Amino acid sequence: MTAQLGNRLLRTLLATAALLGAAGMAEAKTVVHVMHQGDPGWVKAYGDVAKRFEEANPDIDVEMIYAPHDAYNEKFSAAVMAKQLPDVMELDAPFLANYVWSGYLQPIKPLVDQDLLDDMTSSNISQGTYPIDKDLYAIGLTDSSVVLYGNKKYLEAIGARIPKSVDDAWTREEFEGYLEKLSKLEGVKWPIDTFRGYGIKTEWITYAYGPLLESAGCDLIDRKTWTASGTLDSEACVKALTMMQTWVKNGWVVPTSSGTNQFYAEGQPAALAMGGHWFYAEAAAAMKDDIVVMPLPKIGERGVSPNGTWIWGISATSENPEAAGKYLSFLLKDKEYREYAKTQSAYPGLKSFAAESPLYAEGGPLAVAFEQASKTAVARPPHPAYPTITSAFMQAVDKIFNGGDAQEALTAAAKKIDQDIEDNAGYPPFDEQH
Amino acid sequence: MTLQQTSAPAIPRSGRRHDRQRFWQEVAMIAPAVLLLATFLITPFLLSFWTAMTNQPLVPRPTPVRFVGLLNFQRVFTDPLFWTSLWNVTRFTVWVLPVQCGLAFLTALLLHQKLPMRNLLRGMFFLPAITSMVVVCVIWGTLFQYPSGPLNQIVGFLSAGAIQPIDWLGDPNWAMFSIVLLSAWQAYGFQMIIYLAGLQGIPEELYDAARIDGASALRRFWHVTMPGLRPTHVFVLVITTIQAFKLYTQVAILTQGGPKESTETVVHYMVRAGFEEQKLGYASAVSVILFVIVLLIALLQRKLLRRFDV
Repeated sequence: MTAQLGNRLLRTLLATAALLGAAGMAEAKTVVHVMHQGDPGWVKAYGDVAKRFEEANPDIDVEMIYAPHDAYNEKFSAAVMAKQLPDVMELDAPFLANYVWSGYLQPIKPLVDQDLLDDMTSSNISQGTYPIDKDLYAIGLTDSSVVLYGNKKYLEAIGARIPKSVDDAWTREEFEGYLEKLSKLEGVKWPIDTFRGYGIKTEWITYAYGPLLESAGCDLIDRKTWTASGTLDSEACVKALTMMQTWVKNGWVVPTSSGTNQFYAEGQPAALAMGGHWFYAEAAAAMKDDIVVMPLPKIGERGVSPNGTWIWGISATSENPEAAGKYLSFLLKDKEYREYAKTQSAYPGLKSFAAESPLYAEGGPLAVAFEQASKTAVARPPHPAYPTITSAFMQAVDKIFNGGDAQEALTAAAKKIDQDIEDNAGYPPFDEQH
Repeated sequence: MTLQQTSAPAIPRSGRRHDRQRFWQEVAMIAPAVLLLATFLITPFLLSFWTAMTNQPLVPRPTPVRFVGLLNFQRVFTDPLFWTSLWNVTRFTVWVLPVQCGLAFLTALLLHQKLPMRNLLRGMFFLPAITSMVVVCVIWGTLFQYPSGPLNQIVGFLSAGAIQPIDWLGDPNWAMFSIVLLSAWQAYGFQMIIYLAGLQGIPEELYDAARIDGASALRRFWHVTMPGLRPTHVFVLVITTIQAFKLYTQVAILTQGGPKESTETVVHYMVRAGFEEQKLGYASAVSVILFVIVLLIALLQRKLLRRFDV
C-alpha cells in the first residue's frame, strides 16, 4: 500500500519535473503578461485576441492574468509589492495619475502604432494623458458615458417632454416633477434606477453621481488648489446630495438589494434608469422600441456627464516593451474584438471605431451619449490622491443615501482626502501646479 | 480499571549528562515549530508595531517614509468611523455568541444521544462549517434578496402577508442582524464538534453513579454534564469571541460595511485603510489596537469565568 503510494508520488513528481522542463524551454520565447478585468464575455474576447496574436507572432507568448473588477486596484498593489507587474495592464482611467505618479507606467507613444494614436478621440487622449508631463500613458478602443434611459410607455402616460439633444436636457424642476408623477403612476414601482445595485464600494458611485455634483456647481475636489475642504463639503454639494437623499427617502430609487435589472425586468418596475452606455445592449434587447435615450438632466446651470473607462497601459518595469506595444496595437485593431465590443454597445474611443458603430452615429439610438462627450463630459479629478478621493466619496454617499446628515458625511470625506494629500507631502509636483 | 493512582511512579534518577542530552533533544524537536512561528507570526507582529508609527504606504511611493510617532493612533482614535466599527463588532459579538454557541451546544447534545445513523447526522450538521464562507455568503445573499427573495417569501407566507418584505441587507436596522444569522449558521459546526468532544470526555461512570443515586435526567445534566463541560465552555466562549471580533468576510462580500456604516467592522475598516487607501502605517495602528482589545477581552473572560468557577 505504502509502496504503491510512494510509486505514484514518484511518478507524479517526474511528470511535474518534465512539464517544468518543457515550460523552461518555452521561456526562451518572449512572454507578454497581460492583466485585465471584465465580465465573462469580455474575458473570452481578450483570450481569443491573445490566441490570434500568438498565431500571427509565433515568437511571442501572451499570458492573460484576470483580476476581478471591484478589487482590481488592490490586486494591482499586490502585483507591485511582489514586483510582478504585468507588461500590459488594463487600468481605470481616473487611477492613471496615481499610477504614473508612483512610477508604474511608461509613455506609450513610441510603443504603439502611429495610426492608432492618430485615430484617438480627444476624450480618449485626455483620459490617457498625465497632467504633469502631458504625455500619453494609456490607450483604449472605448470611452464611456452615462445617460438617462426612459420607458416610453410611462413617459407618454405622464406627458413628459422628451429631449432631443444635449442642449435641451431636463432641468432639475422638470426632472423632479416627472419623478413625482411617475411615482404615482400605475405599474411603476420605482420612478428611477440609479444602479445602487452595483454596490456601495464601486467606482460607479463616483463615476455616475460625481457629475451631478459638478452640474450643481461644486466638485469632488478643487482642481486648482487640490484641496477638498471648501469644495466637497460646500453648500452646493450638500444640497445636491440632500436632493438625491430625498429621492431615496421618497422611495423613488431602486434600492441596493433589488439588483440592476428593474428597468427592463418582468413588469418593468422602474420607469427611468440613470445608466452607463453598456446598459443599452441588455435593456434594448428586452424592451425593443420602448426604450428612450436621453441626456443626463441639468441639476444646476450646466449639464455635466462622466467619461473615462478601462484603458491599456504598459508598465515601466516591462522587460519587453516593444512586444507589449505590438500586442496592444494588435488588440486595438483586431476585427473580432471590435465586433464583440459592438454587441456590448461599446462607446467608441477611436474615430475608426466610431465610424463602424451605427449606434452612436448621427440619428443612432445612442447619438445623445456621443454628443455628451464633446458638450458636457468632465473627467474625474486627474490627481494621484484619486484612490482616497473615490473611497471617501463612496463612503459618504452610502451614509447619505441611508439617511445620514449630508453636511457631516461630506465634511468627513473632505477631511479624509485632505489628510491623504498632506500625508503624501502634497503629491509633488501636484502641489505646485496652481 | 483504576481511576486513581495510589502512589506516584518512581522517577528514574539520571545523571547530568543524560539531562543535557534530553534538553538538546527537546530543543531539536521544538525548533522547527519555533522557527516557523518566529518567521511568520512573531516577526510580522513586532514589525506591525513599528509600521504603525510610520506613514508607510502600501506600495513604494516617490515621497519618503517618515517616523510619525503616535500620529496614526491619534487619528484612529479621533475617527468616528473607527468607534462605529468597534461598536458594530461588539453588537455582532453579543448577538452571535448566544445564537452560535447555543445552536452548537443543542445540536451537540442531540447528536450525543444514541441516535440511528448518528455519524451520518453529525456529518450533515457539520456541513456548513466546511463550506467556504464565500460560497455561503453568495447563497445567503440570494436568500436575502429584496423585495421578493426566498426568505421574504417565507416570512410573508408565515405571517399571511402581515409582515412587509424586509430589506435584510439594505436596511441599516437589519443588516447586522442578517449577518449574525448567516454567520451563526455557517460557523456553529466547529463549536458543535468541540462540545461533542467535551461530552464524550465525561466518563460514563459518573452518569451511572448519578443514576444509582436516583438523579433525574435534568439533574444529571445540571450536576454531571455542565460541570464536566467547564473547560469546554471556556474554550468555546473565548474562541467564538475572538472569531467574532475578526468579522470580515461576510461584510466584505455582502455589505462592504454599509448601509450607513451599520456593518463596518474593525477588520474591514483596517483592510479599507490598508489596501484601498494604501495607508499601511495607519492600518497597522488599527491592527495593533485590535490585538490589544482582543487580548484584554480574552483575559477578562478567563478571569471572570474562573471566578464563577465555571
